[in-house]
Amino acid sequence: MSASLDKGVRVLKEVIDAPIASYFNSCVHCGLCAEACLFYTETGDPKYTPIHKLEPLRRLYEQEYTLLGRAKKALGLSKPVTDAELAEWQELVYNSCTLCGRCSVVCPVGNDIVYMVRKFREGMSASGNAPEGIKGAANRTVTLGSPMGVKLPAVKAQMRHVEDDTGIPIPLDVEGAEYMVMLSSMEIINFPEYLGAIAKIMQQAGKTWTLCSTAFEATNAGMQIGNSDLARVIVSRIVDGAERLKVKTVISPECGHAYTALRWEGANLVGRPFTFEVKHIIEVLGEFQAAGLLKTEGKETDRLTFHDPCQLARRGGVIQQQRSLMNQVAANFVEMPDAGFMNWCCGGGGGASAIEEGEELRLEAFKKKKSQLDAVKPDRLVTACANCRIVLEEGLEHYQMDIPVIGLTEMIAEHIPEQGA
Amino acid sequence: MAIQNDRDFKAALTALEVPQQRALAAQFVRRVQGLSGDPRVLTAVELAARAAFGTVTEAELALAAQAANTARVESFTQCGKETDWTAQAGHFVAKAAVACVRPAAEAAKNTESLAWDAAMQARMARTCQTVAEGSGTDNPEAIEQYRLLEALLNS
Amino acid sequence: MNELQLLTWARGTGLDLAVAIFVLGVIWRLIEIYSLGRKKDLSAPRQVQGASGWHTVFRRSVPPPGMVKKSPVSYLGGYTFHIGLAVVVFGFAPHIKLVEGISGLSWPGLPSQFVDFVAVVTMAAMIVVLVDRLNKPVKRYLSTFEDYATWALTFLPVLTGWLAVQHMVLPYTTMLALHILSVELLLVFLPFTKLFHAFTVFGSRWFNGTVNGHKGVAV
Repeated sequence: MSASLDKGVRVLKEVIDAPIASYFNSCVHCGLCAEACLFYTETGDPKYTPIHKLEPLRRLYEQEYTLLGRAKKALGLSKPVTDAELAEWQELVYNSCTLCGRCSVVCPVGNDIVYMVRKFREGMSASGNAPEGIKGAANRTVTLGSPMGVKLPAVKAQMRHVEDDTGIPIPLDVEGAEYMVMLSSMEIINFPEYLGAIAKIMQQAGKTWTLCSTAFEATNAGMQIGNSDLARVIVSRIVDGAERLKVKTVISPECGHAYTALRWEGANLVGRPFTFEVKHIIEVLGEFQAAGLLKTEGKETDRLTFHDPCQLARRGGVIQQQRSLMNQVAANFVEMPDAGFMNWCCGGGGGASAIEEGEELRLEAFKKKKSQLDAVKPDRLVTACANCRIVLEEGLEHYQMDIPVIGLTEMIAEHIPEQGA
Repeated sequence: MAIQNDRDFKAALTALEVPQQRALAAQFVRRVQGLSGDPRVLTAVELAARAAFGTVTEAELALAAQAANTARVESFTQCGKETDWTAQAGHFVAKAAVACVRPAAEAAKNTESLAWDAAMQARMARTCQTVAEGSGTDNPEAIEQYRLLEALLNS
Repeated sequence: MNELQLLTWARGTGLDLAVAIFVLGVIWRLIEIYSLGRKKDLSAPRQVQGASGWHTVFRRSVPPPGMVKKSPVSYLGGYTFHIGLAVVVFGFAPHIKLVEGISGLSWPGLPSQFVDFVAVVTMAAMIVVLVDRLNKPVKRYLSTFEDYATWALTFLPVLTGWLAVQHMVLPYTTMLALHILSVELLLVFLPFTKLFHAFTVFGSRWFNGTVNGHKGVAV
């Protein structure tokens, strides 16, 4: 797949639609989007203003889709989009944007800026201007089947480990199971406890579930890099697996962008509605709780707060369930300021945490999260996204804040009483 | 007493006093510590090994725990990066080391015994190694851990 | 050309031209933008009360939590001059008479002293907003010639109108002619500049609200 400026420009022209045109024509340069973006608020550098991250796309739109713009172009009065410019924009479009979506929520004229950044990434990727860190993930998706190079043997090793740890067998390729559980590479690699937690919860709830040997990977690097073809490859695999196993619901793991990719973009990528439901694990746990299938003992007594992953809450619509679940197993749950759908990003989503050159910026942006935590002074921090967990731990480590981070699903599973022999 | 399964293994570990758990945990981690080159990890393991002799203070443990935790956080594989399973093994060794030097107050709060934690993380480290080598999912780490526990109980 | 001829031209040919360009321009631009269409969303929607395109069209006029603190001038200054413009344009008796003359529609006007006061407040707010644009790093960074030109295009009608009513600076006939000409300039440029947000704000908010409403998030 060769990348070139022409290809990039062609892709950008294809993605421009009525919403994008409406947004560019509505922007009045009020700068409020900057006040919602942690990369601006923590650095004070106006170049991180969200709408500014789209400047090359705006000019392209004007030059290709407006009468006046086309006239100016014909008269040689407009500035073309160049490779050099796109290269310059890489930092703005990737390092300093996690697709968190706060900008879209505050724009007074209603611009959905995160939608435009997502589309702009398509052109950046096609023109070869995506960061090395994520390009690798994209290549591995094609060559190895997994963005992080995780293959079935590794998953099976994990399964063995979890079976030993919990004493519960992990089902694989069980046809007709109600739930097909997806994992993100992050969980397979970094947090094997997640799978154990799922096993315990499912056992207690009496629900049938399975992993799928051909579709265990939920992480969608295609979505992060902005390459719909790649994103489609991953989603198609999941659709095939889910349909082959005839499951009712596919569960997206504690990973933010995996949920967005599968739940909201998936059907559009494969070109047809799904024949199964897609739910985030937190949604499923919420349902179990409401149905009385989540019986826990005891509560955490230390002071806990919850970090809402952007793709789960603001961008995913799962906002209340995590709170109800926290209240079930935490006696002292306090909300940080701006909690819920206005929460501030951890700073590492959308592929940002894989970009080495962006680390310094991310750590600076973390000051916003730090200020939220300073306001509430928790003993521990709970969240529901494996990437957020790591980014949060790194940020806390950097600022010497002694606040352990745990996953909500694991925390709930810890309160499920041991089953009998 | 012969340990033949994880249920007995876990129960026996949980019944041990904390200093003994530390010493045993250190033994579990020693088996895999070659997979991590991090000096902070090695220091933590050394400290835990001395715990059985009662010559270790809570302050020393806290310091070692902090250092080992930094080692753990620094060795996460980032989302989207290519997984280096050998390096990831090192991450789990660090996690096991953190369990070894878990301060007594925290150990008391936890439902899982620190020795069990260390054992599981050490096994995960071994699993990463076998994945890296492409030698399949079976690894005899659990059996070796049972032997170490038996040796302690019989002494 | 003397001032009476100028006024006659402004009221007659000038107005006809400007309104024609305005109406055709608005229609053309709406077509140019919205005919691009958008793909249907095939993902299963989440049904949540209060989360939809229409809700956002109105709700987005309310500042989101925590934002007014971050930029009070943007919100307070913005509301003031937008509402002020509406009051002056639609509440001033002579304006209503003009509309009645063209379309037959009319409605009760507001007391002229009140409109006078609002005009002054509007101009003050606009100046404050301009100063903010020049002072704040982000606004200054984003601003182009068009931002300042459209500010002037919007400010001049209010200024000249107010001066005409006050019979200040220039003879009434001249001031009135200038006022009408400034309005005509505004009409001509509105569809082709950022001022077009007056029309596209509804579409933009609606698209945004629809996409988020689909996911069950009320924005």
